[in-house]
Amino acid sequence: MSSPPPNPDRSAGSALAEPTAPSLPSEDGATGGPTPVAGDTATPPVYHARRFTLSNVGLYGAIAVISLFFLFPIYLIFLIGFTPEEYTLFSGRPPILPPQLTWSNLQAGLSATNAPFLPSMYLSLEVAFFVGALAIVIGIPTAYGLSRLGSRLAYSLTTVLFVVNMLPSITIAIPISVQFIEVGLYGSPISIGLTQELLALPVTVFLLVGAFQGLPRDLENQARVDGAGRLHAIYGNLVPLIRPALAAAFLLAWMLSWDESTFALILYNPASSATLPVNIFLAFTGRGNPVVGVAFSCIATIPVIILTVFLQKYLKGEDLAAGVRG
Amino acid sequence: MASFFARHQDQLIPLLFVLPALVYVGYFAFYPTFETIKYSFQTPILSFTFYNYQANVQSGLYSWIANTLWLTAGALSLQFGLALGVASILNRTFRGKTVFATIAILPIGIATVVAGFTFNQIFPGTGAGYANSILGWFGIAPVYWLTHPWLAILVVIIADSWKNTSLVIIILVAGYATIPRTLYHAAAIDGAGPLRQFVHVTLPGLRGFIVMALLIRGAQEVNIFQLAYIMISSYPQLLTVQIYLLWESSGGYPYLASAVSTVLLAIVTVFIVIVILLGGRKT
Repeated sequence: MSSPPPNPDRSAGSALAEPTAPSLPSEDGATGGPTPVAGDTATPPVYHARRFTLSNVGLYGAIAVISLFFLFPIYLIFLIGFTPEEYTLFSGRPPILPPQLTWSNLQAGLSATNAPFLPSMYLSLEVAFFVGALAIVIGIPTAYGLSRLGSRLAYSLTTVLFVVNMLPSITIAIPISVQFIEVGLYGSPISIGLTQELLALPVTVFLLVGAFQGLPRDLENQARVDGAGRLHAIYGNLVPLIRPALAAAFLLAWMLSWDESTFALILYNPASSATLPVNIFLAFTGRGNPVVGVAFSCIATIPVIILTVFLQKYLKGEDLAAGVRG
Repeated sequence: MASFFARHQDQLIPLLFVLPALVYVGYFAFYPTFETIKYSFQTPILSFTFYNYQANVQSGLYSWIANTLWLTAGALSLQFGLALGVASILNRTFRGKTVFATIAILPIGIATVVAGFTFNQIFPGTGAGYANSILGWFGIAPVYWLTHPWLAILVVIIADSWKNTSLVIIILVAGYATIPRTLYHAAAIDGAGPLRQFVHVTLPGLRGFIVMALLIRGAQEVNIFQLAYIMISSYPQLLTVQIYLLWESSGGYPYLASAVSTVLLAIVTVFIVIVILLGGRKT
């Protein structure tokens, strides 16, 4: 509560013991990462840096080509969004640069009556906040438990969560949909959120396990010695210290839900509204107005681009690979 | 019994904390999975049958499997080639590295359906599209991207690689961080050039990460659905797209779709079993 935490998430390593060195590219870039200790084995290869040689020209050439590959489709999302349709969707040779710009696509898409924008956006937000909140509510005890279990058992349980992430969404969604139809939960935000949580929970747990492991074990022992119960020690003493990781986990889960469309599509009840990605899917597969898809795409993309940049340092390879060790 | 609890108390309480998550994934992931397998052997009046499989074999189940596997193999090759390149660039020190790292992970944030639409606008079947605009600068005649199954699979591979290479990059960058720099110095002193360093230092060092990333992406790749459906509809047909179409036209009867689902599940299970075996060997 009082002093800011000593950035425990930074030291979080793999989900399974053996913390590895903090590794994201953004952290040890040109600005310099953790200062190497004298005689440390991790001396950076200084001879690579900032020398304008032939190999550097090749390097920057490759970087330029790859960057173009990654950026061009994102540029197109907005180009198509803000250029009159005759130069995009209905053009035989769509120009790469916009001959003129317009708001009309957005206006037409957002005021379409067959896929009303506001209910769709509201449903997407509802589901995403539910998925994010549930990820934290289940994620904290799960991650705490895993970080305190013996490595053998923790590894088995991590594998279970990992397997959940590999199961085909569409395979799971159909029987769930059949059941939700029976109990009348079909198409409700909670039903969509409960299924999307399958994708969000494993990543959340791996991220939080790392954060818990980054805390000194004595913190909990100290609180327990002082008379706090285990729950109080966790929620009163440990959880406040991993707030940055919790925020990241919440946003990551939020983002996964915001983008998810397979569960949302199979559980979509045509009698009520659909999430933004489902409306985009329907618009581009011949069951809706493509302009709706274009407008919804632009709007759905803006928050997730910002979130991705913001969450970059929390997207760790060890978490995404469920604690793989080299 | 009491002594058992006393002895294992330090493990039982943490296990209790994990229990809600286990109950949740049990009910929402594993139970529906078994339901799917059960449905695949049922008729609408719930008697046992092989009809669901036979009917799908008649409709071309084997070719759906083949298309899905070709797509998976192609997409994994492209993604790992690209990701190894990007990760080895990010392993160096250069000006603008942070910006490049950010650009390389941006596609993670773009929704699959949005990526599918955008690539559909790049590679449409109509002879229009942005790829043809660019080819036109060089005087190349418009290509009809979806007229041949191989070409259609190729454009889906490109789109999927755009969307998912970032994940592989992140995993491989984490792998690079575990390779001691001294190995590169030693190799350089021994006269190994960049290529030999890559083959003899980088690849062995990354092996565990590459295998794990291949398994994750492999399982996700056979599940590719909306990206492919938006771009190529059902030509050529993929397992997931067929599941969706069968389910959508079923009027709420999951039996035919479940047979294809079970086949998909069998393929994914191969990846899962390898993950478990590898994990078991390591502990």
